[in-house]
Amino acid sequence: MGPGTGLADHIRAESTRLAAVCTSCGACVRACPMVAYAPGVADADAVAVVTGVLDVLRDGPGTPEALAWIGGCTRSAVCTPVCPEPMDPAMMMRLANMRARGALGGGAQIPVKQDPGWSARVKAFARLTMTEEEQAKWL
Amino acid sequence: MAVTARWDQVVFWYGCNMARHGEIIRLVTQILRAVGVDAAPAGGPAHCCGSPQEASARIAGGMASRTVEKFNATGCGQVVTWCPSCHMNMDDFMAPVTPPVFETRHITELLHARRERLRELMVHPVAARAVLHSHAGFNGRVPVNDLVPDLLRLVPGVEVIDPGLRVPGHMCSAISAVPGVLAASQRATLDVMAAAQADTLVTVFHSCHRETVALERGRNFRVVNWIHLLAEGLGLGYEDEYKIWRNAEDPRGAIGPERIAAAGDVAFERLVEPELRRPPTV
Repeated sequence: MGPGTGLADHIRAESTRLAAVCTSCGACVRACPMVAYAPGVADADAVAVVTGVLDVLRDGPGTPEALAWIGGCTRSAVCTPVCPEPMDPAMMMRLANMRARGALGGGAQIPVKQDPGWSARVKAFARLTMTEEEQAKWL
Repeated sequence: MAVTARWDQVVFWYGCNMARHGEIIRLVTQILRAVGVDAAPAGGPAHCCGSPQEASARIAGGMASRTVEKFNATGCGQVVTWCPSCHMNMDDFMAPVTPPVFETRHITELLHARRERLRELMVHPVAARAVLHSHAGFNGRVPVNDLVPDLLRLVPGVEVIDPGLRVPGHMCSAISAVPGVLAASQRATLDVMAAAQADTLVTVFHSCHRETVALERGRNFRVVNWIHLLAEGLGLGYEDEYKIWRNAEDPRGAIGPERIAAAGDVAFERLVEPELRRPPTV
């Protein structure tokens, strides 16, 4: 198993497991505080939105509403306690988000916001806020 | 770089973006030492949970595995987390792929478990009518919205008010990526601060602190992190330089040319200065 292969396998296995447990009841969508910020989701059928998420977990294209909801997930986890099934819908959304951003290859289905200067920025701030000794020990 | 922790210490895994707040890392280690825990800080890109590279499982997974392997190599039995993203990634993606030989515990849990020792050390009154900046997320994993107020109430003079506002997301960096959410949450926060007649807004996480300190401008309250308030109660000195720089009319002047040169002029200009000069969200 090469470096990073384990995470891809884990994402696939967890996607399969959660997609099998979820009944698409839509309780997670109805509880979500981000629906108002996800275009088209507030007016969509909650069951259809979750069905689209499950499609993404199964390597499908999803639906525009499902992808909007996936892209708008900020990990509030308000969905977790309302789910009637033995699963965590917040984890389901996290997996769907990673897949929709192209984590397993095959291109992204939602916009990917990555900060190419992240690592250099962290180090630049560290040089401002830490002593040289602290940088040597802490970074 | 390898973590410099000894087996008889705990690793304080502060994450990456906490590099903006060196004083919080320093204060956490001082507070832990005061309650009998010797902690070695570790963070930055070399100890990444993989979160910034999640668009590629290959890259994120490689980063995450290397971090677990580094922590395993220390022989430390406990890794104490700060960042909710790191904490959740450890539970959800890192440990299941690369088995750790340590337990993971959030800093709020560790300090809360030692709160009686902490209470004995809180001898410096701090006058504060405080509202906690709370998110809905992460609290289901670690009940930070209860643990942090409990800890703040150890500080003599601190009154903690819970207006019941739970901002979406697990921390502000998550909601800042969705247009309109950060601004709406900050307006709601200002409303509850006014209704509660609070003079102190307390942040829990680093990205919330980063996004929130500019709310001080032109307003009659201060923004502090919960660690800052604990430090004040313990009599530990600190300076929140990020807040000073972020709210300075001239961040360059506030930091000074020598420190900017030490950080690297080009890096400062391209990577740091735009963030410090960014207008407040509301």
